[in-house]
Amino acid sequence: MTGKRILAVFCVVLLSLFSLCGPAWSADEATIKIGVAAPFTGDAAAYGDNVKAGASLKVEEINNAGGINGRKVELVYGDDLCAPKEAGAVGSKFANDKEVMAVIGHICSSATLAALPIYIRKGLPTISATSTNATIGKVGKGWFFRNCYTDDFQSEFLATYAQKVLGLKKIGVFYEQNDYAIGLKDAFIKAAEKLGLEIVGTEAYTRTTTDFGPQLTKLKAGGPDGIFIAGYYQQGALIARQARQAGIDATLFGGDGLDNADYINLAGDAANGTYLSVPFIAEASGPEGKNFADRFKQMTQRDPDWMSANAYDCMGILAEVIAKVGPDRKKIREGLAAYNSPEKAFNGITGPTYFDKYGDCQKPAFVKVVENGKFVPAKQLR
Amino acid sequence: MFIELLLNGLTIGGIYALIAVGYTMVYGVIQLINFAHGEIYMLGAFFALTFLTALHLPFYAAFGLAMLLGALCGVLLDIIAYRPLRNSPRLAALITAIGMSIFLQNLAMIIWGSRPLPFPQNDLPAYFKQPALTVGGAPVSWLQLFIFIITILLMIGLYLIIHKTNTGKAMRAVAQNKTMAALVGVNVNRIITVTFALAGSLGAAAGILVGAYYNSVYPTMGYVAGVKAFAAAVLGGIGSVPGAMLGGVILGVAEAFGAGYISSLYRDGISYAVLIAVIVLIPAGLFGKLSRETKKSL
Repeated sequence: MTGKRILAVFCVVLLSLFSLCGPAWSADEATIKIGVAAPFTGDAAAYGDNVKAGASLKVEEINNAGGINGRKVELVYGDDLCAPKEAGAVGSKFANDKEVMAVIGHICSSATLAALPIYIRKGLPTISATSTNATIGKVGKGWFFRNCYTDDFQSEFLATYAQKVLGLKKIGVFYEQNDYAIGLKDAFIKAAEKLGLEIVGTEAYTRTTTDFGPQLTKLKAGGPDGIFIAGYYQQGALIARQARQAGIDATLFGGDGLDNADYINLAGDAANGTYLSVPFIAEASGPEGKNFADRFKQMTQRDPDWMSANAYDCMGILAEVIAKVGPDRKKIREGLAAYNSPEKAFNGITGPTYFDKYGDCQKPAFVKVVENGKFVPAKQLR
Repeated sequence: MFIELLLNGLTIGGIYALIAVGYTMVYGVIQLINFAHGEIYMLGAFFALTFLTALHLPFYAAFGLAMLLGALCGVLLDIIAYRPLRNSPRLAALITAIGMSIFLQNLAMIIWGSRPLPFPQNDLPAYFKQPALTVGGAPVSWLQLFIFIITILLMIGLYLIIHKTNTGKAMRAVAQNKTMAALVGVNVNRIITVTFALAGSLGAAAGILVGAYYNSVYPTMGYVAGVKAFAAAVLGGIGSVPGAMLGGVILGVAEAFGAGYISSLYRDGISYAVLIAVIVLIPAGLFGKLSRETKKSL
């Protein structure tokens, strides 16, 4: 009996040891792994889906053309739930996996800020397609890059647009309690006050807020003609619906966080007439951009948003760098830093991308509006 | 602004009351906080969503059917998870409740995906969006009126069941003393099942109302609502049904006024502060009764 027991335990231990070694045997040693950190579940999952689709389209292109110097590219996904805690876990996972050469991520500014110290400590370059909070570049220590604009720029643009094109005078502000929204809100209020716009109220909310009744009632008392939503699509949609239900006719407008088909799905008719600023619209992006838009629509049956376009370009930039310097984290970082002037810029579907010493980049802002349940380009700021 | 905030508070409060009543009834009969109750609320919303989108049933039919399914879920929860542990230490049942909560959340994620789904607006009765009346300058839509009326009707219905029927009498007997109730011929297990069914149907009703009102249904929606409703049940005195109803309304109104007059940033903090204040002053909650063990320790 005891002998059989010992044999059984021994077999189990041996098998489990084999299972640990398994992945190393079966791994295709030739692939280059790039981590993609984004929320794939939870209430910001729609962002992750689009980034995944955008990056995958570029990887498909690269692999069909033979890969980078003969080696295929493989994307490794980490679900950060758009939250700092999970972002740290994903960051550790990527940093400790020696095969991951670089990270495209994170999406939400709070998540990027949480994971960044890990990437810096372990020397893993990360390029974000979507984190717009202005402070990230200052703490990146050279390991952080992004090919989207920052919120300082976006807020100023929005305030100017609200005044010059939309003709608004009194604005009510909603913002979520996270780095992205607070940064956006602060910069917007500063810019708005400089332009002479009146801020009738600023109302905060958290990720779990579903009922905005009291806040809308408070703002309504101030008689705003515009409501600025600094936040993500899920809460933005709830605010839009409830604002209309409460009888508020003000023009809704927001930043890049609202750019997602789910905003329209969840808000229904209330979404019509919402303006939002984005770093990319397919209609203004030239033939390569239109090609991307068509392929994206074929793959996902929806129109591309700016996040997918930026993710596509992030992968493009990484591929160009790795083709030049090879799969080495430090060399990739130096390669990315070498894009430091308009002449040396990477030309992708989102325009020329080059980084300053903080890893930040300049991108123009466009405006979209929701019309009849679809995003269409709005009157642009000239 | 006062009237609008009050109406808003009464709407949220009514929803909390519906869920809180479920917590309190189950606690009353088996002294267990059913942490999975928030998930029945969530499942009710998803069931109604599926009936409306996949089966294209009319709204009221979907509402009724989803309530029935909610009752069924409550019963299944009892039979599968809690009945086997009826004679085990209370901690085992508590942990099972938390486990069932996690299980149901993930089951919903597998079945319906983790993204928030919109309630199909075209399947709701068309007049829902129209303003029904104006109270003190604040517009009240038919949907809001519907929520008020349903909440009140369900509460009255529950009250009548508990106080005017034999089953209700048996429920009160089991809540008072299980052993004595069994001795006088009450089928305790059956009564507990009925309690779960009632709690489940009310929770599901709350879920459907919230889904229709906010147009957003997602697998983790049960968690926040469940915690607030649990707080409301404790506020009113856990085990007391009128207490849970009152607790829900008080919490909802406190939240609305706190967010409107004090600061929307701390609205959750304000509602919980109200709870803490009441419990410190009246330890058993508004209508609760301290058990002998608790009285001794105080």
